[in-house]
Amino acid sequence: MDREVLRRLEKLNQLALTEEEKNDFLAFYAAKESELASLDAVDTENVERMVHVMPIYTVVREDVVIKKFEREDLQKGAPETTDGYWQVPRLVE
Amino acid sequence: MKYLLTEQASTAGKSVVFDDMILTKDLPTTAGSKMLEGYMSLFDAEVVTRLNAAGYTTVGKANVGEMCVDVLGESSAFGASTDENGKLVGASAALVAKGDATVAIGLDAGGTPRRAAALGGCVCVKPTYGTVSRFGTVSIACSGETVTVTAKTVADAREALAAIAGHDEKDGTSLAEEKCALVAQAPVKASRVAIAKSITESADAEMRAKVASVRAALEKNGITVEEIDDTLLQKAGTAWGILMSAELCNNVSRYDGVKYGYRTKNYKTIDELYTNSRTEAFGKLLKTVILYGSETLSTENYMKVYDKALRMRRVIAERFAEIFESFDAVLMPVASRTVFCPKCVAKYTLAYDEQLYTAPASITGLPAVALDGVQLVGKAFEENKLYYLAEIVEKEAK
Repeated sequence: MDREVLRRLEKLNQLALTEEEKNDFLAFYAAKESELASLDAVDTENVERMVHVMPIYTVVREDVVIKKFEREDLQKGAPETTDGYWQVPRLVE
Repeated sequence: MKYLLTEQASTAGKSVVFDDMILTKDLPTTAGSKMLEGYMSLFDAEVVTRLNAAGYTTVGKANVGEMCVDVLGESSAFGASTDENGKLVGASAALVAKGDATVAIGLDAGGTPRRAAALGGCVCVKPTYGTVSRFGTVSIACSGETVTVTAKTVADAREALAAIAGHDEKDGTSLAEEKCALVAQAPVKASRVAIAKSITESADAEMRAKVASVRAALEKNGITVEEIDDTLLQKAGTAWGILMSAELCNNVSRYDGVKYGYRTKNYKTIDELYTNSRTEAFGKLLKTVILYGSETLSTENYMKVYDKALRMRRVIAERFAEIFESFDAVLMPVASRTVFCPKCVAKYTLAYDEQLYTAPASITGLPAVALDGVQLVGKAFEENKLYYLAEIVEKEAK
């Protein structure tokens, strides 16, 4: 992995690493790459992916409200609200 | 020595401490992260509701590493939990060992509750995936994470598990009631145990001695113990590291500094708000896990890495199934060493290396009972055989 790929990853995940963190991550990833190569020793070409460990299929239920929360309660943990809305910086000038 | 982040007045009788990964409406839930410092949930996790209804009094919330993906809580934003000798301890297991709570409830994705219990003089039961509701847990790796019970004895853990196991329609991965009920059945005789040879050999001498001691205890009680080829099981650490990181990366994308949690003071634009909030609130290990998980899901790596890990999961599950045709459980160490000190975890990504020991049960959703430095991994819904074997270990250790 080069620094450009890491920069893209940081942007995608809304993170900004320090120079030390960048160097450490690149070293970590280099070690992981050689470890990943060890998986290639196992032929999985004809193996089906296993997404669920148990036979769980799409679970549906009646589309009815079970528990309702008040807006005021939902916003109790919000960093900033105004008139019952979550406050963020202006998006459109 | 920071064990409890918040506490309630204790009362006589059965009591429970919850790892801070479990939502409680009357106590803050932080997941060991500055991002959630002071966060109050509007509801209790299903395990809280069920245990309280069964008569367990909540004594408080125990310190955990950030999102519980480290070795033994060393990455907590509120400081690591250590004993009087400076040794890292799992906070909730330490509280149970001291007798401050009858049981501890944790969330096992990276093996922390098992590690904490087996190295801290307790017993941890990680039941079959889907048998205990994950509703109200701070999700890390949904496809393999499991609610765990830690107690001083196998019997105490089983009793608490009986109170929390069961179908919950609020959890889309919850299994049918009759399946869930199987995990708390009374012990049933088991007769054959396999030792994961290479995984055991990779641990240090003290840990290998623990496995040897458990082997001797089992054999003394008429159990046949044999070493097996565990080449494929050894791949679980790498494969689960990929899946866990990818799932965590998605799960923590919800923390953006807008709806709840930490918000930076340093922003002018929405992008700065998101980026600076996450950068300031998340620790170094968590950032590493996020970036690694994100990269495994990239266009370049999806098939080569993520898809490969999903196929490896089936290969490992099939290898376990093959082993269980001849054996009742697989014995292996729970960690590479018996003691972790702050110096040991100077390598901040050590948690990935320790997956070698805990990932075989995590990636497959199989049940495990961890105690006395080791773990016994069993067939799905056959916890009762693990209880039988663990009680032998328990008896012989006295």
